[in-house]
Amino acid sequence: MGASTDGSIATLRVGMIGAGGIARVHMEAWRALGVSVEVYSTDGGEALAAEYGITHVATLEDLLDRVDLVDIVTPSSTHRRVALAAINAGRHVICEKPLAATSADAIEITRAARRAGVQVYPAHVVRYFPEYEALKASIDTGVIGDPAVLRFTRAGEAPRADSWFFDEADGGGLVLDQMIHDLDQARWLAGEVGTVYAVQNPATVDGRVAPIVTAHVILTHVSGAISYVQGFWGPPGLTFRTSVDVAGSGGLLGYESPDDGAVRVDVPFAAAEGDYLPGTRHADDPYARELRDFAEALAGGPTPRVGLEDGILAVALAEAAQASIVSGRPVAFDADSVIAKLGEAAK
Amino acid sequence: MKTRIAILSFAHTHALSYARILADRPDVETIATDPEGAAAADFGPRGAELARALRIPYVNSYDEAFAWGPDAVIVTAENSRHRELVERAASAGADILCEKPLATTLEDARAMLAAVERARVGLMLAYPVRFSATFAEARDRVRAGELGQIIGIRGTNNGKVPLADRAWFTDQELAGGGALVDHVVHCADLIDDLLNAQASTVYAVANRILHSDRGIDVETGGLVTLRYPSGVVATIDCSWSYPDAASTWGGLTLQLIGTHGTITIAPFAQHLAGYDARGAVFTPVGDDIDASMIDAFLSDRHHGRALRPDGAVGYRTLQIVDAARRSVVSGMPVQVC
Repeated sequence: MGASTDGSIATLRVGMIGAGGIARVHMEAWRALGVSVEVYSTDGGEALAAEYGITHVATLEDLLDRVDLVDIVTPSSTHRRVALAAINAGRHVICEKPLAATSADAIEITRAARRAGVQVYPAHVVRYFPEYEALKASIDTGVIGDPAVLRFTRAGEAPRADSWFFDEADGGGLVLDQMIHDLDQARWLAGEVGTVYAVQNPATVDGRVAPIVTAHVILTHVSGAISYVQGFWGPPGLTFRTSVDVAGSGGLLGYESPDDGAVRVDVPFAAAEGDYLPGTRHADDPYARELRDFAEALAGGPTPRVGLEDGILAVALAEAAQASIVSGRPVAFDADSVIAKLGEAAK
Repeated sequence: MKTRIAILSFAHTHALSYARILADRPDVETIATDPEGAAAADFGPRGAELARALRIPYVNSYDEAFAWGPDAVIVTAENSRHRELVERAASAGADILCEKPLATTLEDARAMLAAVERARVGLMLAYPVRFSATFAEARDRVRAGELGQIIGIRGTNNGKVPLADRAWFTDQELAGGGALVDHVVHCADLIDDLLNAQASTVYAVANRILHSDRGIDVETGGLVTLRYPSGVVATIDCSWSYPDAASTWGGLTLQLIGTHGTITIAPFAQHLAGYDARGAVFTPVGDDIDASMIDAFLSDRHHGRALRPDGAVGYRTLQIVDAARRSVVSGMPVQVC
């Protein structure tokens, strides 16, 4: 194994599995970290390899033979199968969010990882965006007192039409794919959740999500805090925007992208383009910071700020929200009983 | 001939804004009374002293105010006292501009609407954001079809806890509740106007974490999710979430999500920003929407036009508040009607 135990990641060999939208973002991040990557994908892998001048490996087995860890950026429904293959081969795993298409799959991945003694990290990158990181630090140091009312919004152009993103049975859907970022944020910032209520418009019909869709999720945290998470997959060209506002017993903090004042471009005739992914105006790219945090942990560094149980609970919250959307009623949520399934299943 | 207007109570701080606007208008003659003011546990003047500061003639009782023969009244008493004053104004044949919310209970509200209808007087609800240029622009764009079909709405109406100025806002009996009663109705009214529909179900959560050290026994934070028959989903954050140290009282935003994109308005956002020796400075420079509302009230009644926003939307928005209160208690979504 190439990973050292002193936290140095330069000798790490990464195998990327998948070649879709987020693959290029991760590829740029690995490149920025100076880590060598090889890729395997059943779709677009060779093009991605050519684009980055790296090796495309013919089979998953070959890839697993050649690397220390895999970076799974495949469609969500395949996370379980690919992650289990990597884990069974003794490879560490970084897995794009959601950790899996279902919490049951996420639990199975976690059990397997613990049994095999390998590390698996779900890529909840919003925890590495400096604004959200600063908000977490402010809350933890008591700047705004006890969190009381939290708001999260996330809007961007919808994914490619007719893709798996619109198929809820195939790991897609607005709640599980997009809003899971902020469901994780809500847990991170205000603690465990006791009740989940959600509405969506238009409704998902026969598992198929409408091409333009919005949803609202209301969380009641165990602490008594309440959160409002809003998601929107909009028309092509829609500016990607996120916002967060946290009101606490001692103050109020918030942020909205991309109006951070850092850069304003006003160039007539420049092509207007929407974004599927958030832009970032930090030299230290949040994706690179995330991947470095994971990679350093694999090389003996400190425990990352997001772990498998976070990944499981984020999926479980998304499932609860989807169940509430269908039933029209709030859904009781108990993080302990979700995590307890890890132990039960292992027996 | 000048229109005679009686301001009934200074309990609601908006009365001060209305009084200043009326004092500057040459076409009205205004008096005020604030009989409960002397007994109120408020910081700052009430009653005759406040009227003097506002340059408005003062009378000592509602009896005297009605004996003066007002053409119209502005009801800015505590929420639970709106009913008796509206009923009395209706009996006296005076048109009414009633501070929001219409009442604290649906029963009171129904009695008020019935009294107004019987007496054939006009009733307008004080929803000034309806008169803002930002909302007018959003509504025009929606009606022109720019957004495609509206599928979702987010409203926020946040501010400081109205405790120092007027203690009754946090009195369950007089106010009818806390932030849910104070801050849901403005956004609900704008949504009502945009969708021309009443919500079918309401789910609400609330807590008392904000300002928890102030001994407040009503909710200070709340989120209200509405579903409309068309499928539209809307959530309103009504929390009193601005700390006392904030450089502005708060604000209101409304985001409309449509199949073609989004429109977001912030009618109180226009301001000069900067710092003085004590910290951040926020100097509002937006239009005076209270003045626009009062102008509409006076001009519509002068021309015999129907007053809007009317009592019916006051009732529908109170139905939403009432459903939200019930949902907080039951923990379940509730039907509005």
